[in-house]
Amino acid sequence: MRTHAPDIFRISAVLSISALALTACGGDGGDNAANADEADGDGDTAAPEAAGELEVWVDADRADVLADAASDFEDDTGIAVNLVQQDFAEVRDQFVSQVPTGEGPDIAVGAHDWLGVLVTNGVVAPVELGDAAEDFEDVAIEAWTYDGQVYGVPYSIENIALLRNADLVDQAPDSFDEMIDLGEESGASYPFLVGLDAQTADPYHLYPFQMSFGAPVFGQNSDGSYDAEELTIGNEGGVEFAQWLSDQGEAGTLSTNIDGDLALENFVDGESPFLLTGPWNVPAAEEAGINVEVDGIPAAGDQEAQPFAGVQGFFLSAQSENTLAATTFLVDYVGSPEVQQSLYEVGGRAPALTESFESAMAEDDIVAGFGEVGAEAVPMPAIPEMGAVWDYWGASQAAIINGEGDPAGLWEQMSEDIAEATE
Amino acid sequence: MAVTAPGSTLIAGEQTTAVGSARLRRQRYPRAEKPALARRPFKKWWRETGWRHLVGAGVVVFSVFPLVYVLSASLNPGGTLISANSLFSRVSLGSYVELFNRPQQPYAAWFLNTLFIGLTASAGSVLLGALAAYAFSRMRFTGRRVGLITLVLVQMFPQLLAMVAIFLLMMGISEVFPAIGLNSQIGLIMVYLGGALGVNTYLMYGFFNTVPTSIDEAAHIDGAGHARIFFTIILPLVSPILAVVALLSLVASLSEFVIASVLLRDPERQTLAVGLFQFISQETSQNWSVFAAGAVLAAVIPVALFLLLQRYIVSGLTAGSVK
Amino acid sequence: MAGETTSGRPKQRAAARRMTRRQKQASTLIDATSSGWKLMLFKIVVLGLLCATAVYAALVLFMNQRWLVGSLVIVGAAGLTWIYLKRGALPAKYLAPGLVFLLIFQIFVVLYSGYVAFTNYGTGHNSTKDHAIQAIMLQAQERVPDSPTYEVSVLEDSGELLSTDELYLAIVAGDGEVLIGSEDEPLEPSSAATVQDGRVVAAEGYDVLEFNELLNRQTEITDLSVAMSEDPNAGYLRTQDGRRAYVYTSRYIYDEMADTMTSSETGTVYSDTGEGAFVADDGEQLLPGWRINVGLDNFVNAVTEDSIRGPLIYVTLWTFAFAFLSVATTFALGLFLAVVFNDKRMTSRKYYRLVMILPYAFPGFLSALVWAGMMNQEFGFLNNVLFGGASIPWLTDPWLAKVSILIVNLWLGFPYMFLVCTGALQSIPEELTEAAQVDGAKAFQAFRSIKLPLLLTALAPLLISSFAFNFNNFNLVYMLTGGGPRDVSAGVSVGSTDILISMVYKVAFVGAQADYGLASAFSILIFIIVGTISVLAFRKTKALEELN
Repeated sequence: MRTHAPDIFRISAVLSISALALTACGGDGGDNAANADEADGDGDTAAPEAAGELEVWVDADRADVLADAASDFEDDTGIAVNLVQQDFAEVRDQFVSQVPTGEGPDIAVGAHDWLGVLVTNGVVAPVELGDAAEDFEDVAIEAWTYDGQVYGVPYSIENIALLRNADLVDQAPDSFDEMIDLGEESGASYPFLVGLDAQTADPYHLYPFQMSFGAPVFGQNSDGSYDAEELTIGNEGGVEFAQWLSDQGEAGTLSTNIDGDLALENFVDGESPFLLTGPWNVPAAEEAGINVEVDGIPAAGDQEAQPFAGVQGFFLSAQSENTLAATTFLVDYVGSPEVQQSLYEVGGRAPALTESFESAMAEDDIVAGFGEVGAEAVPMPAIPEMGAVWDYWGASQAAIINGEGDPAGLWEQMSEDIAEATE
Repeated sequence: MAVTAPGSTLIAGEQTTAVGSARLRRQRYPRAEKPALARRPFKKWWRETGWRHLVGAGVVVFSVFPLVYVLSASLNPGGTLISANSLFSRVSLGSYVELFNRPQQPYAAWFLNTLFIGLTASAGSVLLGALAAYAFSRMRFTGRRVGLITLVLVQMFPQLLAMVAIFLLMMGISEVFPAIGLNSQIGLIMVYLGGALGVNTYLMYGFFNTVPTSIDEAAHIDGAGHARIFFTIILPLVSPILAVVALLSLVASLSEFVIASVLLRDPERQTLAVGLFQFISQETSQNWSVFAAGAVLAAVIPVALFLLLQRYIVSGLTAGSVK
Repeated sequence: MAGETTSGRPKQRAAARRMTRRQKQASTLIDATSSGWKLMLFKIVVLGLLCATAVYAALVLFMNQRWLVGSLVIVGAAGLTWIYLKRGALPAKYLAPGLVFLLIFQIFVVLYSGYVAFTNYGTGHNSTKDHAIQAIMLQAQERVPDSPTYEVSVLEDSGELLSTDELYLAIVAGDGEVLIGSEDEPLEPSSAATVQDGRVVAAEGYDVLEFNELLNRQTEITDLSVAMSEDPNAGYLRTQDGRRAYVYTSRYIYDEMADTMTSSETGTVYSDTGEGAFVADDGEQLLPGWRINVGLDNFVNAVTEDSIRGPLIYVTLWTFAFAFLSVATTFALGLFLAVVFNDKRMTSRKYYRLVMILPYAFPGFLSALVWAGMMNQEFGFLNNVLFGGASIPWLTDPWLAKVSILIVNLWLGFPYMFLVCTGALQSIPEELTEAAQVDGAKAFQAFRSIKLPLLLTALAPLLISSFAFNFNNFNLVYMLTGGGPRDVSAGVSVGSTDILISMVYKVAFVGAQADYGLASAFSILIFIIVGTISVLAFRKTKALEELN
């Protein structure tokens, strides 16, 4: 072995040199691309020519719809749109960690309540919709506005409403108590259902009732945005709401043992005339042959029961090198009635573009039902501290419903904890 | 090369023992067992195997029961995961059909990818781990003990930042070798191989230790080189643990989600863990039934591998050979 | 094996001396036989490819000015070549393949966490200062309220020779007048321009860029700000898509020389005071900031963090109890089953074994969710069927939740232990156990005195690492109880099933905002705790190991 060693070195040297030669060939490919760029720069080419590529992160359901818009865009501009399928739930964190590396996309799908985190991290760029902003539903633009700037193009509005089994109860209730009465009269096992988690209840689903007691989580600025400094959750209405929660828990109308799945299953089996939920559960109920009607959410307090609205859309990366193309794609293609219509058809949520919204409302009772409630909805707060807010909020609600202490005391404690977390 | 003969004699001897014990088993069972079951007094049967069946029944119920929910959900399209009222109230194969009819979510491709990635990573882990375990078990060198402990310590590091770190690393690799960087299955397999030296090495190490060094020494004297001894003598002797480690690594790579979801972007290249999760990750469009159906089919992979490897795992080859 | 005495430490020399003549003889033989020509050729090819790849990688890296990484690649490849060409160094030859992957993929994660622990990486401090400035400037562009939308054209100087790269924006003002301006020159009226459909289509001395030309110069165009007039308060014109332009003012003015941001509304000056963000005199930070090195701050915060200090002792105790009990229960059950089904007289054992693999074959979080459903207080299978309608608060009582989490972990973990024990049992010679099969009592005795010590020797490291795994078993806790139930009236977000790692997660990610720096510091602290314990445990098992 010893005697052979020098030979080995020689041979491996030869091999590495031949590999270098291969490398050099590989390098040529890159040069060609560069040449092509130069050719473009001359501006002689009249026909649109691929000048770059847009990377768009999109979830599986949206991918099909955008594929059409993408190919139109490529035909019109010569810019290819590379649709990268991502899991919706992963997009936010991936976007935050990948944009700074330069590997991130130009555009990504998302929900408006991510904006706080995205803006604070400086990974999204504002999109000036210009006059087009007026073509969208107010709540959609309001939701996608953060700190005075619109950060993307919304496409759908999502909110909860009251599903009613019309075979069990034939009239829409006007108040929470009336709903319970109607539900009990119907003879079903549960007068009313809403899915609650044993540990964290569900502040999102219970929010309309809280609002009906006049206890929004934050104060709102004149432009509709939230003022995280002004915490209103612990006001008098909030304490009343806490008492109400405790009463309902005791009466059994709210139970943290009935989670979302159980609630849906019981509704689908005709065990309850009412279910407070979003459009995502409607298909299951309809497939099971339930005669579903969508009603407004009955108030428990003396004010209107406004739910939260979640608005989905597409946002633009702050590090995009194709801002011009990306903006064009967002405003003129994603924001077009055709695309909004097809996004609506695949997702079943009310479109954000008013024109599409109205046509969807006209043609589908269910969408119309949710849309009517949604028109009154308030956008979910998007401030980055919401993680902590949901956390305290939910745990306290669960404790109150389960009767673990004095409702008012627990609620006030929660308000203090939230105040500390949002400081 | 001329030294093959003695080595192979040794292996042949090995096989004889194995075959011998198998023959023994074969003879024992047909003759003794079946009639014995009828004739053997109940008390004796109970003491020898009967109680074991009772334990087995208990374990089967414990193991399977939660999975019945999964099976039930998979047969109930549009249904929920946890059914309060009755299992199997509706039975339809709709979710299984749907699984293969979603162009955006190519289940069949995920399945094959998982198979490829899982098997490759598993085979690689076994090889790398066995090499290291052999070194730790048979050789004495500076830092051996520290090295052994370090292997386990490294695995104890909380992986809160693994996602960010691995992404940065693979991005760097992409710059140089795009084919094994981001969005490549080879890249993912390499990351999995990063964990090849670790707990499993220890497992193999312990097992190697039970193989008497006299076997190696005999082979040395017969003129076999270290590589030959390792591959043709030691490895066959430790096949039970190799099979166990192969299975453990396969299951680990099968259920690994975080890194696979960061590295593999293209749906056609994703693994089952990443792909299936999409069906339920969004609270507002969860499809438990399809997810459950996918999980049931995915479980076929480890189960099939176990069936394949079972005879190695329980063969007891060494038992015959050592003494 | 004799070749390994590369270092001259006395200990090692003693070890070498201890080697029998036979071993020395054997090692000479190894070297003699391993240099067969086939092996040699194989080595040459593999090492050659390796070196070639490394040289290529290093060249690419050097071209990208990544000197350190490039050098590491070269050193690594040279090291590997040396190991495999050198005589002897057998342990290195066997260890190297696995170590390469370990070093690249695992050690890197550890080092990266170590590095992040000394930075302020987290929400609001996500990238570089340049990115932060760019993002602030983007976010600060505020469209002047009620200002019109302009159909804009992008122009460049015409004339082949004189042409500069300068870009111009041209708009048609409300009164029909054409205005042209650039980054350096505010908008000025221009008379020699052709307007069509409210848009400038030609202008003397300029070429109007077509859409595909716009695309080639996207960044330049979207970065372009053209002042509306000499008056800086009049705002400036910007376009994001090359066709529509709006008048903006900026909420912040960045002064490159002084490195400060000045609010145009309040005049507040934010300056870089080394905190990783622009900070006003009153301490207000302008986010996004950027990543900086913060020294030991994260460690100090980790140790002094209020929300953790209260429940820390409690959580640490429970973490130990959880990890220990998880290992103990899964190992006990796994071992018991492995022994029970290791009896050759039981022909049906392979079916039982197969069934026991099943819990291991399904995604853990799916199982955890099913268990959570089965443990539902009112409707769960456990209460409704097994306990005949009892109302046992499996997941909502602080103590029962602990029991529940252990039960679920037992279910999830026993197949692993079963497999491992089954495998390990095969290494114990049958003869030793023959005696054990004589009768029940004796069998157990024999098992305890003969098999168990042998098994423990082989499995002790595995148990230790299983302990460490459960010590950090974030997924289970998060899936099953989310750390709850928690005492809301106490005002802490830590619940009674939270273990250290899930508590850290809450503090670093859920609490206020994601704080990777703090999380890393915690990771390191936890690692030190569990690592120390493990090393101590290893010391204990050393005695056991020597037995073999």
